[in-house]
Amino acid sequence: MQHINRREFMMGCSAAIAAMTGSKLSSVALAEATGSQTLVTVFLRGGWDALSVLPPLDGKDRGYYEAARPTLKVPVKGENKALELNAQLGLHPSLAPLFELYQAGHLAVIPATGMPSNTRSHFDAQEYLELGTPDARTSPSGWVTRFLTGTKSNSVTDLLSESLSLNDELPTSVRGNLKAVGFPSFDGFQLADDAEYRKFLGNALTRLWDGDQWLQQAGMTALRAVDTITKINSGEYKPASDAKYPDDSEFSKSLQTLARVMKAGLGVRAATVDLGGWDTHQYQGEKAQGYFGNLLSELARGLAAFFTDLDGLRSSTTVIVMSEFGRRLDENASQGTDHGHGSAMLVLGGSVAGGKVYGKFPGLAPDQLFDRADLAVTTDYRTVLLEVMQKRFGLKNSLDVFPNFKPSAALGIMK
Amino acid sequence: MGDLESGQENVLDTAILEPVANPLNSRRKFLRAGGALAVTAAVVAGAREANANLRGFSSDVKPEKLLLSTRKTGKPAIPALEIVVFNRLAFGWRPGDLEAFRQLPGGNAEKLRTWIELQLNPEKMTDQDCDAKLANLESLNKPLEVAWADYYKNLDDKDEKKFQKMGIPTLEARLATITRMVFSKRQLLEVMVDFWHNHFNVHPERDDSIKPTFMGYDRDVIRANAFGNFRVMLEAVAKHPAMLRYLDNASSNRAGPNENYARELFELHTMGAENYRGVGRQRDVAGYAQGQPDAYVDDDVYEATRCFTGWRIDDNTDESGFTNTGQFAFFQPWHDRFQKTVLGRYLPPDQPGTKDGQDVLDALATHPGTARYIARKLVRRLISDKPPQSVIDAAAKTFLEHQDAPDQMKYVIRSIVLSKEFASIWSEKIKRPLERFVSGLRILETDIKLNEDMLWTTYYMGQALFDHHPPDGYPDFREAWASSSGLLRSWQFMNGIAQDWDEKYKSGVMKTNANRRKPLEITDFWLERLLGRKPHPLEIRDDLIKFLADNGDSNEAITDDDTLKWRVQSIVGFILMSPDFMWK
Repeated sequence: MQHINRREFMMGCSAAIAAMTGSKLSSVALAEATGSQTLVTVFLRGGWDALSVLPPLDGKDRGYYEAARPTLKVPVKGENKALELNAQLGLHPSLAPLFELYQAGHLAVIPATGMPSNTRSHFDAQEYLELGTPDARTSPSGWVTRFLTGTKSNSVTDLLSESLSLNDELPTSVRGNLKAVGFPSFDGFQLADDAEYRKFLGNALTRLWDGDQWLQQAGMTALRAVDTITKINSGEYKPASDAKYPDDSEFSKSLQTLARVMKAGLGVRAATVDLGGWDTHQYQGEKAQGYFGNLLSELARGLAAFFTDLDGLRSSTTVIVMSEFGRRLDENASQGTDHGHGSAMLVLGGSVAGGKVYGKFPGLAPDQLFDRADLAVTTDYRTVLLEVMQKRFGLKNSLDVFPNFKPSAALGIMK
Repeated sequence: MGDLESGQENVLDTAILEPVANPLNSRRKFLRAGGALAVTAAVVAGAREANANLRGFSSDVKPEKLLLSTRKTGKPAIPALEIVVFNRLAFGWRPGDLEAFRQLPGGNAEKLRTWIELQLNPEKMTDQDCDAKLANLESLNKPLEVAWADYYKNLDDKDEKKFQKMGIPTLEARLATITRMVFSKRQLLEVMVDFWHNHFNVHPERDDSIKPTFMGYDRDVIRANAFGNFRVMLEAVAKHPAMLRYLDNASSNRAGPNENYARELFELHTMGAENYRGVGRQRDVAGYAQGQPDAYVDDDVYEATRCFTGWRIDDNTDESGFTNTGQFAFFQPWHDRFQKTVLGRYLPPDQPGTKDGQDVLDALATHPGTARYIARKLVRRLISDKPPQSVIDAAAKTFLEHQDAPDQMKYVIRSIVLSKEFASIWSEKIKRPLERFVSGLRILETDIKLNEDMLWTTYYMGQALFDHHPPDGYPDFREAWASSSGLLRSWQFMNGIAQDWDEKYKSGVMKTNANRRKPLEITDFWLERLLGRKPHPLEIRDDLIKFLADNGDSNEAITDDDTLKWRVQSIVGFILMSPDFMWK
């Protein structure tokens, strides 16, 4: 860059933010002091097989399960057997890292979750769940966006955005928020390597993009985010408490990125992370091993490392794991499972009354199934989300977030 | 922009200022408030001070304005017809394309008709330059059976390069497609190929056995039918080993039917989720009694699944009648022979061969719901993320009227492009990352090296070609493509090709700039070349001129070659990084 004369640069917005950022940025201390809460939603795209995640252990349901799942059933004894959550339900053995958190009281498990819509389409179901309006897709905003406007922010600073998605593509749940920021990791998340050149580009781009149209606003959001992240992304990151993120997982990398952002106290109140690959129509894996087990392991190891790394932020962070639906009770000829209905949710956090299975497992007898084929839904996913929002974020009016929804009584998942 | 000092309305739109509890909206009030605001005030003052000594891009703008307000730009004006055409019916333009369009005979309507007819008949267009670039691709024209033998069946298990060889047809399909997007004159064909690849999405890496067949899928299914008959295309998709494997129909049999393909056939390939009624019973759907239900339910999916049992791939020599050709095979022992009812049609037991499946495809390809769904998707692609209903209705009607025509889709495309809405709607869409990538390379006439590194760039920009894993294809609405990382990576790429920083992409901006040395002249030349119009807002033009002139005389030549190069390449990068280059 020898041709760049220092005089070619101008100072403006970017530099001002830089100075501001420098003075305000600190570490966990700031984030902790503000008492701000963060809700992390992990969306498992493709419809996870909830009956392999939470297999029935005993009684008639075990009989129906084994009959329907000759190759895919999770065993109850011997190698790779299910981990016992209670007398009725187990946890897939590949989720062992989460089982430890369950035993320590940080993880709550809710079987048979879902929504009233009877769609078995991925794309319908994801859209309904993320808009928060089952069977309607006309909402201009997603539930995360409405949740943020419906709750007050305690954070002293908003250097990045309240809404962060660890994705290249923004999910439907953050629709309608022009300030929602999205990036999967810090890799390459800067305008240029050279600091002076960064400033130069930042100023030029600010000038080019400053405007009141939708696209321009998205550009300005990106410029602010890039500027802020560039400031905190210096040096090697050392996770707290020797947390070990699996190094072969994009999902874990995203969670680690999120932990860094949270510790920097940048005011993120809602984060979304995706993990895909759950549409297991074929070769799901026998005896709790193989493809599905590996994917669960990636999920569990990533979440466990994230929770450990959060350190002092554990009690102010709540992680919700969900998927668009569960899968058919009967396995198919390809040793996989087709689209089903009832799913399962996990809630992880320092303020979770964990170590317990909440809600009701509806049973697997033909009459107990949805459409005589799939696990039924006994807990609306919105009831779970609302409890977190009300107890941890002081949400007053649930209709702000989920219009036309009358929640059931809270399950008591949150302390 | 509102005037800060006069206390006029100023929306505090910059995130950094939000901690201010009081909704202050003018700088004067802002400074008076003191206390917690002091830091910001100091920063603003410091920035202004620093600015006094520096110069460049926006020296006449007080930095605090950038910090405190949003410039009121309003919507960009609708550009000239040829700009709309090359942004929405092509992957941008190469130098000369706009001029050629303007020189077509007649008024705008006639020019557009002429251009469309040329583009709808790609076989009549010579395309040697592009063809020559594809000449070295070994799998380009290999028939499916040959590709199956060369890249799958006959590969030696001990061959260290076995998996690399298996992937050659897929790698080459990706390289060929990008090459065509960048260099082919048959641009509308490429736009439609991209549309159909997303519509009938296959992710080749889902299974090793898909990879050897993917060039064939691109060539024989997608390209061959891009302007053709929808029903013909539907069956070509259904029988191609790439789709049979990708959506698991190849392993679906009467003992344990796999509904993956049948479900997506209804939901993504034909009627769309907008015509899906969930668990309901078939007889409860309106129109069922008359044999034409206006929607489908899960039972239609299950019944159709039974219809397609036995539609598989001849991929071994162990089973009777199989010779491992890698091609479609109907396997009677796996087929469910009993009666079925799909979309109000009764299919009797023991229909011969593939008749059950073909009946389903017939019902779907002629259903008004399919016509509407395909029409809506196409209008969204070619006009706006808020597709005008009148254009959708006309296109759907055309789709049904010409359902038996071998070039049915040409009629549908004409009805959309020649609608009055086509050229009167602008900036409701933005380029997807792949379009940004290709249009940047096209306008700079960038010399590119065809190799895997190039594919890495599309991955980095967020839209790797043929790499969407779920069956719905990459989203085609703007919200999905405006994430911070997506915009940033586009900026990085655009600036990189303007500056010639990457060995893979050599643009030669200074060669194109020729002997232009005067800031005003340089600015207008590059704005016309890259945007074909004035920037929005117009003051960006002044910024560019001032930057080039170093705030001096806009007609004074820049004499130093290094300075000229740095500044010219910079403004080319700026224009390519601006919102104007992204709207479509």
